[in-house]
Amino acid sequence: MSGREFLRTALLAGVALALAGPAAADTLRARLNADIRSTDPGVNRDANTDAVVLHMVEGLVAFREDASVGPLLAESMTVSDDGRTYTFRLREGVRFHNGAALTAEDVAWTWRRYMTPETRWRCLTEFDGRGVTRLDAVETPDPRTVVFRFARASALIPATMARPDCGGAGILHRDSVGADGAWVAPIGTGPFRMGEWRRGQFIELLRFAGYASRAEPRDGFTGGKRAEAERVRFMVIPDQAAAKAALLSGAIDVLTDIANSDLAELKARPDVTVDVAPTMSLSTLLIQTRDPLLSDVRIRRALALSLDLPAIVQAVTEGTGSYNASAIPISSAFHTPPHREGYRRDLATARRLLAEAGYRGQAIKILANRRYSSMFDSAVLIQAMALEAGIRLEIEVLDWATQLDRYTKGEYQLMSFSYSARLDPSLSYEMFSGPKDTQPRKVWENPEALAMLAESMATGDAERRTALFEAMHRKLLADVPLINLYNGAEIAASRTNVSGYRGWPAGHPRLWGVRAN
Amino acid sequence: MRRPVPLNALIGGSLIGLLVLTAAVALVWTPYDPLAVNLRARMVPPGAAYPLGTDEFGRDVLSRLMAGAASSTIVSLATVAFAVVAGGTLGLVAGFLRGWTDRALMAVNDALLAFPGILLALGFLVVFGASKWGIVIALGLAYAPSVARVVRGTVLSIREREYVEASRVIGNPEHVTLWRHVAPNCIAPVAVLATSMFGWVLLSESALSFLGLGVPPPAPTWGNMLAGSRPFMESAVWLGIAPGLCIALSLLGINLLGDWLRDRLDPRMAVHA
Amino acid sequence: MLGYLARRLVMTLPTLLLVGVTVFVMMRLVPGDPVLVMLGDTATEADIADMRAALGLDQPLPVQFALWLSRVAVGDLGASITNGQPVFWLILERFEVSASIVLVAVAAAALIAVPLGLVAAWKQNSTADLAIVAGATILVSVPSFWLGLLLLLLFGLKLGWLPVVGFVPFSENFALALSFLVLPIVTLIMIEVGVLTRMSRAAAIEVLRLEYVTHARAKGLPEWRVLLRHVLPNAFAPTWTLIGLILGNLLGGIAVLETVFTLPGLGRLLVDGIFARDYPVVQGCLLFIALIYVIVNLIVDLMYPLFDPRVTAE
Repeated sequence: MSGREFLRTALLAGVALALAGPAAADTLRARLNADIRSTDPGVNRDANTDAVVLHMVEGLVAFREDASVGPLLAESMTVSDDGRTYTFRLREGVRFHNGAALTAEDVAWTWRRYMTPETRWRCLTEFDGRGVTRLDAVETPDPRTVVFRFARASALIPATMARPDCGGAGILHRDSVGADGAWVAPIGTGPFRMGEWRRGQFIELLRFAGYASRAEPRDGFTGGKRAEAERVRFMVIPDQAAAKAALLSGAIDVLTDIANSDLAELKARPDVTVDVAPTMSLSTLLIQTRDPLLSDVRIRRALALSLDLPAIVQAVTEGTGSYNASAIPISSAFHTPPHREGYRRDLATARRLLAEAGYRGQAIKILANRRYSSMFDSAVLIQAMALEAGIRLEIEVLDWATQLDRYTKGEYQLMSFSYSARLDPSLSYEMFSGPKDTQPRKVWENPEALAMLAESMATGDAERRTALFEAMHRKLLADVPLINLYNGAEIAASRTNVSGYRGWPAGHPRLWGVRAN
Repeated sequence: MRRPVPLNALIGGSLIGLLVLTAAVALVWTPYDPLAVNLRARMVPPGAAYPLGTDEFGRDVLSRLMAGAASSTIVSLATVAFAVVAGGTLGLVAGFLRGWTDRALMAVNDALLAFPGILLALGFLVVFGASKWGIVIALGLAYAPSVARVVRGTVLSIREREYVEASRVIGNPEHVTLWRHVAPNCIAPVAVLATSMFGWVLLSESALSFLGLGVPPPAPTWGNMLAGSRPFMESAVWLGIAPGLCIALSLLGINLLGDWLRDRLDPRMAVHA
Repeated sequence: MLGYLARRLVMTLPTLLLVGVTVFVMMRLVPGDPVLVMLGDTATEADIADMRAALGLDQPLPVQFALWLSRVAVGDLGASITNGQPVFWLILERFEVSASIVLVAVAAAALIAVPLGLVAAWKQNSTADLAIVAGATILVSVPSFWLGLLLLLLFGLKLGWLPVVGFVPFSENFALALSFLVLPIVTLIMIEVGVLTRMSRAAAIEVLRLEYVTHARAKGLPEWRVLLRHVLPNAFAPTWTLIGLILGNLLGGIAVLETVFTLPGLGRLLVDGIFARDYPVVQGCLLFIALIYVIVNLIVDLMYPLFDPRVTAE
């Protein structure tokens, strides 16, 4: 049987099994809401791509569940006193999918490739001096030691190397690219290796028998990462209702990224187990503080006071989230008691503020979209509640691309929006703070706040950072450049024959350690 | 072979009558506010308090259906009017002037006709933004080419008739001839086309909602209610059944009425479905 | 014949060019930017600028258009912005899906509808006719996606007879492919049966009124021969034109059904392309759909004489 024939037979067998109902022990089927963009880590990517690719490649460091950064391919990481030199000691016995042993030279080669502009690595700007720092050299004093030399110290260096959208700076074997330097397929060190990718239909990964797992238990993107299933198939099912139907009929085993509105129904089903994990994404209401009407802080404040925020959150998240007024996620270690302070509904004060500001029922547009139903749901509830204080909101539904365009240009009055998980507290503030003249997408440009933000990025002192973030939170509540709602929850459901699936704060699905019986 | 009561007119007329009546009532009264959110009464199955149940925001489905009848009717009527005016003008001008104007206009027209209407509308809609009037313009533009075709065909077939020639001979300016003698002849075929178009628009509006655009929700239309019911198709069947049935019954009414109209206005057109 | 064919094809070139210009201009009028969609909310201004430059989106629009057109002229539709795939192959791959559904459904619908229409016309105003017309009118009035949803709910979820999602090409495993496609095909058949029955009935009624039918009957031919030899071929001609129109329209227009049944068809590719602002994909798809429409119409015109003896005679 030729390889091609074998593949064909295997594939048909897979489909036949899919038809037969519950999965066979060795195939785990999950859903993607859109096809992945490429298999090249951190290059031509989106969240789906990151999730799939990070099953196959691993970086030197990776995020743990509590959003701290821990070693993955590295055994240890030491930072010089000036914070500019990082020395990684590689773990022993790590092999690539093609059987080659991981060496320091592979790390250096991979990073040279990432730092070449033609590669179009997503995070090049963070390391070429325009972002976090500038990478000056990667040295390999011996086959198991890699030294990174940076131009500037920054608290964000390890976190940026671990960022999922950077492909976790996954280390690749050089045969991952062809002789001409063009991308072929990932030859990484992850628990799964590349199987077949049928565009628009599925991507299948195969268990990597030679995987060298860390000894600790599974912890975020690091820790123990044993593949339990022989193959993992990510099926492309764009439609949410169809995906749910697929799970209920047994055509897929694990369904991630479930809408809040489906939670109650799935919980009631005996044949599926539901897993709810808080994430670090942030749902919020952005306010254009340069809008003639909304530049008046009294109106912004009145809007915040007109809303019963815990009730909105309860309804939108079906109880999976709780109201968080702070930019810092509840699950973060930096979410200290002062961050629990938020807005309390006070219609009388809201009306008084509106009267003082001379608001006379002018319509205010709130932008939302249908692609992310929770953003739309929030807008509907905000509209209904604001009306009780006499604030007239009109919902304008845009398609997602248009809304992103308006977001980037700052062309809106109000916008129901959701930020993806930022795993460092400085980044949690940075995502919406900055000068609008050069970054129109930002909403908060209070100079004092920006100064504190800059300081929080430069210092590595956790206590000082905590104090800074607490001060920023108080300022944020007073300025009302946005009204934070809640941190999302990753809701996943698996059929009862599947064990071991669990979500985590970064949100990306992980299918290692998951077994289909 | 004349039947005393044309059944299609009777049924179609009552269905459409019901639609218009509901729409009219909804403009002044609905059992509940169709936009009022009630977080304590979400997804209530049909019962005494809510005859058709409530949706995921606790809004009354019956009230929303009624309000949806109004907005769907208004959107459909406006769209048809827009398509008829735009396409009709184009067709009249092209058919009457002929020559290069005709060739150029019809080339554009044919290019537009080569797209499935719904996709054309989708494209326009993204340009104009998904609002009630965005839909009207998008669908109107998408259907105008069909009207233009029919009108141009009719104009070409009658512009050489004696009475049109006569109007020219007695010295009437061209635009008078066009309006007095050519345009009225287009009314019958356009009326038949407009009737079926009313149905297409109703259908397209829901299809667009299904594809993720459409009349922006909170404001209910049957289309966005149906599209919005999809995630709940198993847990809350009533959310999808009610608007689906409303669309189907209205289309049935339109089709029956259209058949009758066709038979009455132009027996020959009956062949061309 | 070949000369005619060539002339007809050349005549479509201006239409296609116009389609190209329209689509290009329209897509660029649409707010939004593929780069923003791809980078999402973590994008910085530097990322956006870098990526736009890499994709050539920072060039002036006329330059971009000229570049695109010059490539299309030699048959290169470019590569998808979202996943770097050649658009031409993407389209062919997806077209196979849409085409298999549409062709099977329309063929089956015609096989059911034409005899029904004929019978209804023959027994005009009888109970049978009334039933057929009523049935057809009801089918025409049901939104296809709603019908699809109801079928999916019934056969996929409640009864569990058919798979809810998935797809295999017919060329790979016929039985398996059928199990995935049976629901969308049945949905489409039901809708199209409605349309085609009404059409063929109307056409047959007109033919039955014609003199030569009376003549044939007067000659004492048995009724079934009159119907099969004289009425059917003539009544089929306008239906055939309608089938062409339906085919042309459906190939791009079943995006909604493809959404309901999550099939990777051409319509879905186009709609996803529009939402992602994947310019080369949208431009390529619409050009392709327009081309198909033109070709289908041409084929219909060429085959028309086969079904309409009156045309052959001329």
